[in-house]
Amino acid sequence: MELPGSVIHLADEFSAPPSELQISDSDAEGGAAAQARVLVVDDERLLADTTAAILRRAGFQAKTAYEGFGALEMAASFRPDYLLTDIMMPAMNGVELAIAITQKYPATKILLISGQTGIADILADSRERGYEFPLLAKPAHPSKVVEALRRLKNE
Amino acid sequence: MTKPETAAKLFGKPSVLTGAAKNFLAAIITSSDDAIISKDLNGIISSWNEGARRIFGYEADEIVGQSILRLIPPELQHEEDFILAKIRSGQRIEHFETTRVRKNGEKFAISVTISPIKDDNGRIIGASKIARDITERRRGDESRFRLAAIVDSADDAIISKDLNGIIQTWNNGAQKLFGYEPDEIIGQSILRLIPEHLRHEEAEILRKLRAGEKIEHYETTRVSKSGEIREVAITISPIRNSNGEVVGGSKIARDVSDRKKVERMAIEAEKIATTGRMAAAIAHEINNPLASVLNLIYLARQDGVSQEEIQNYLATAESELERVSHIARQTLGYYRDTGSPSEVHLHNLIENVLSVYRSKLLAHNITVEATFNDLRKIRVRSGEMVQVFSNVVSNAIDAMPEGGKLSITTTRTRQEEQDGLRIVVSDTGHGIRRENIARVFEPFFTTKGNLGTGIGLWVARQLVERHGGQISISSSTERGDSGTAVTIYLPFDRAQSKMTNGHGSESREAA
Repeated sequence: MELPGSVIHLADEFSAPPSELQISDSDAEGGAAAQARVLVVDDERLLADTTAAILRRAGFQAKTAYEGFGALEMAASFRPDYLLTDIMMPAMNGVELAIAITQKYPATKILLISGQTGIADILADSRERGYEFPLLAKPAHPSKVVEALRRLKNE
Repeated sequence: MTKPETAAKLFGKPSVLTGAAKNFLAAIITSSDDAIISKDLNGIISSWNEGARRIFGYEADEIVGQSILRLIPPELQHEEDFILAKIRSGQRIEHFETTRVRKNGEKFAISVTISPIKDDNGRIIGASKIARDITERRRGDESRFRLAAIVDSADDAIISKDLNGIIQTWNNGAQKLFGYEPDEIIGQSILRLIPEHLRHEEAEILRKLRAGEKIEHYETTRVSKSGEIREVAITISPIRNSNGEVVGGSKIARDVSDRKKVERMAIEAEKIATTGRMAAAIAHEINNPLASVLNLIYLARQDGVSQEEIQNYLATAESELERVSHIARQTLGYYRDTGSPSEVHLHNLIENVLSVYRSKLLAHNITVEATFNDLRKIRVRSGEMVQVFSNVVSNAIDAMPEGGKLSITTTRTRQEEQDGLRIVVSDTGHGIRRENIARVFEPFFTTKGNLGTGIGLWVARQLVERHGGQISISSSTERGDSGTAVTIYLPFDRAQSKMTNGHGSESREAA
């Protein structure tokens, strides 16, 4: 990339999965039927994986998806109690995903998480369509995420 | 009427002059361009020369013996009573300007001098009337007066000078702009208006004037009587004499200080907006790895985690932090830019801009193809160039909501005798409509509705031109082949302030 004259394909290079970290999801297997199910969606794979690992340790049953359509597919079989999703994602953004999930599975509680300030338009658009979701600012301390999900449960 | 009869009427007796003298006078009267008419005290025309025929259109034999009232428009016939009254009392009427009517009914402006004709006894027997058609002169006067009024009431300073730069005329606008009264500045050198460090401009201006060239909308600074600096846009045109030789120059200067102030504020505002846009993009880039680091540390601290897992978590956290510092180095560094130019590889700068928009490009399914061929470093203000390419790239992204390809090429080129770089940023987006393309560099013009500020490209142009470069755009909205290409030329050596007409950019349509 430093050499002039080279041709670079940014999209190819950057869309490669960044994480080689193996995060055990063994906790999910032994989950009792009573465990609340969380679907974690983030195009930043490492972030989705580590968040899911943390939630499992906190007693949730957690699965991950890295983009909106995959998440919708997974929700059909997983039937999550919670959707924890990033907002700025390729193809389908987090708010569109949240609206789609709410329409299909009205019982699923939504928690949006975003590190960007440029999402005001997306949120305004969602409000216009009659949807308002709680939002956590990224980066959020893991204990805050767990706490926010627990609070939603009691609502 | 015979000649002696005419002479008798005119001069009271036929024998007052020798024959030769009479012929001489008759020749003068005949060949005069002015109408020379005589009439009696009742206003009946008694003689009519060739000039009268040309001006009024009547032949002598159709008008001699008729009333002079035939030459006077109905609404002005009262004038004749006044004229006859004056003549009867022996007075002369000189250069009386009025309106008369030709045989074909056309009214025209005329200047008449009417004198009494006396016989040998001094008795007044008639009047001679010399009339001159002044239609042309009137027209000339009117347009001169009109022009003078326009010049004087103009808000712009309008000044004329000779080829030595000596001021010849000075209007009210000039007085207001520069503070000098006409009588203190006319006859002085134009250099009094030019700040010392810009006096070299005058030699160039005079050179162009002598060559018959015009200088349009040249923006510069001038100085007023009180020493205040005035930012002006000036247009200087050669003044020619009737032989077509250049004898001086007319200079129209407009005070653009207010406009410049607004422009500077708009540039500042756009800098802040660009900073905001980039900060949002940078925040996204930094917040993701930071969130991962928080998660990884949290996981490492949990009970019952093996030593190996802890090492794994911490190593990953470390590489995430390296990612953060890389982004910070690439992007935030530019904001330390205090404005002094430095040598950079332009492709590095463009790649850094691209890295800021990486997430946005990915989110919009836009692939990037960059071909850089710029081995030589270029001396630029990095912060400004980051802003230029940030604006152009973010426009390209906005043009491709459904995805597409962003291509960037840099090539070395030679333009106007100067070595430089040509950068082409093209997208496969929806394109810019034909009627809008010429306006995209105008301030506050946007095709993005509420989402655009309308100054991104305008600011880009200001910054590119400040570097001595040029920016142009071509676009096509043709279905299946739409897209926009922005071409930027940057010379390696920053050009000195060149005396161009101020339009370094052009807009054109793609085929």
